[in-house]
Amino acid sequence: MAIGTGPFWRACLDGVAAVGPIPAHWLDYHRPSSTLWAPLPEFDYLQYNVNRIERMQIDMATVLGLCACKQAIDNAGFFIREKDNKKNTFSIDGLEAFRCGVFIGTGMAGIASFTLNQAFHCFSPIKERIGQGSAAEHLLRMPARFNPFAVSQIMPNATGAAIGIKYSLTGPNNTFANACAAGTIAIGNGFRAIRSGRCDLAITGGAEYLADEFGGVFRGFDLAKTLVRDCGIPEKANRPFDKNRSGFLFAEGGAAMLILESKEHADSRGALPIAEIAAFAESFDAYSMMALDPEAGPIKAMIRDALDEAGLVPADIDYVNAHATGTQINDEVEARVIDEIFGKKPSVNATKSLVGHAIGASGAIESAVTALSIRDQAVHACKNLDTPVRDLNFVTSPGPLEIRAALKNSFAFGGHNAALVFVRPVN
Amino acid sequence: MSTLTVAQRVDSIVKEVLRVDPARIMPSSRFKEDLGADSLDLVSLIMALEEEFKGPISDDEAASLATIGDVVNFIEKKAGLTAS
Repeated sequence: MAIGTGPFWRACLDGVAAVGPIPAHWLDYHRPSSTLWAPLPEFDYLQYNVNRIERMQIDMATVLGLCACKQAIDNAGFFIREKDNKKNTFSIDGLEAFRCGVFIGTGMAGIASFTLNQAFHCFSPIKERIGQGSAAEHLLRMPARFNPFAVSQIMPNATGAAIGIKYSLTGPNNTFANACAAGTIAIGNGFRAIRSGRCDLAITGGAEYLADEFGGVFRGFDLAKTLVRDCGIPEKANRPFDKNRSGFLFAEGGAAMLILESKEHADSRGALPIAEIAAFAESFDAYSMMALDPEAGPIKAMIRDALDEAGLVPADIDYVNAHATGTQINDEVEARVIDEIFGKKPSVNATKSLVGHAIGASGAIESAVTALSIRDQAVHACKNLDTPVRDLNFVTSPGPLEIRAALKNSFAFGGHNAALVFVRPVN
Repeated sequence: MSTLTVAQRVDSIVKEVLRVDPARIMPSSRFKEDLGADSLDLVSLIMALEEEFKGPISDDEAASLATIGDVVNFIEKKAGLTAS
């Protein structure tokens, strides 16, 4: 939808949504029920400390993660200096490297590179045998070679590793592969690393790139009947929390990075926090790989845990940035949980109504939105919410909102649930 | 189509991948001994050359390329690479 905190947040408040037709050549392989996705905007990775040689050796999810990371470091007011010209690595002034961690969430980072390398592996002998000009030759889409960096390209921890190497950070460096909740869980673990005293600073967030060459990932979600099916009017197809929702809008990819610091560390360098994290809680449904437990017992318990850790009661929450995928079951269950715990008081919105669902990056993107909402005391609207699934205080037009405390929910395939509580910083 | 010579294009790729002082880039420069390339650098170099000249370079061919001059000769002679 947009690149960079300022343009992205402006686009959210303006209700700019990313939606377009899926790549035409995917239809050579499969005719999905859904035909729409949220494409990434054009961007120039060279601006973000990623060079052309590195790009050949890393997956697009890692490119996105590195670009988001560079923006986060700049926005946080850090000065970076070159460490190794050939390796294109840097150090960050004023940081004790061993006290800085990296915590990254992803669903399936590396899948696009995995698919391309497998395509070369499987198709190159076929292409040699059928020769040029076969009617099926166009289906054998593959790169010019099997990438010698395939292993480090496709490993899910590549993004965290690339960030740690790029900025010379030697504290804990962990990857959380919890599907749609991965970004939120990564941020939560960064928060805990700071709260425990292990780290002064954590680079946290999520990165995802889901557009494999053949649309196979899209096919999987499509067959699971999770994607938007009512695609007649593209700009109206994606409508979380609406009675007429028909699934989630598959995102090509995405990334967001948040830099967390202890209050002492931020104060010592005169940094102005965007928001504070007051709690992280998690639970597991133990119910189904693909569907939320409709009773939502573990989700409700998790939210109460999060409130307890933050020292808050439900009435203190002014804003809920919901998971809100736009699937039948998610929105129905989540709206009921919000109603039961918080009632009609907090404003509720669905960032996925604007950016679609970038799986492991979604929780990080939405956490960034939650933090920016607190900073600016303003919320974006739920796009395309005409007939709400439940009588809640949904945000139907963007505008100012007094937010002292906000909740960010994420629920994942597999059954992983995560919640963060963000609060307005106290000076 | 590029108006640079093959030698100029190879020099440019070597500079981009190995980040060495341009004064050290000569036809006789050996990648490992003179330019300090390790095995990962050599793989990166071959990938970048494949992209620049739009064609595959096999592992055996790559193993025979010890100097910048070797690479220039190889590209000028090898069918399938876009040397002009």
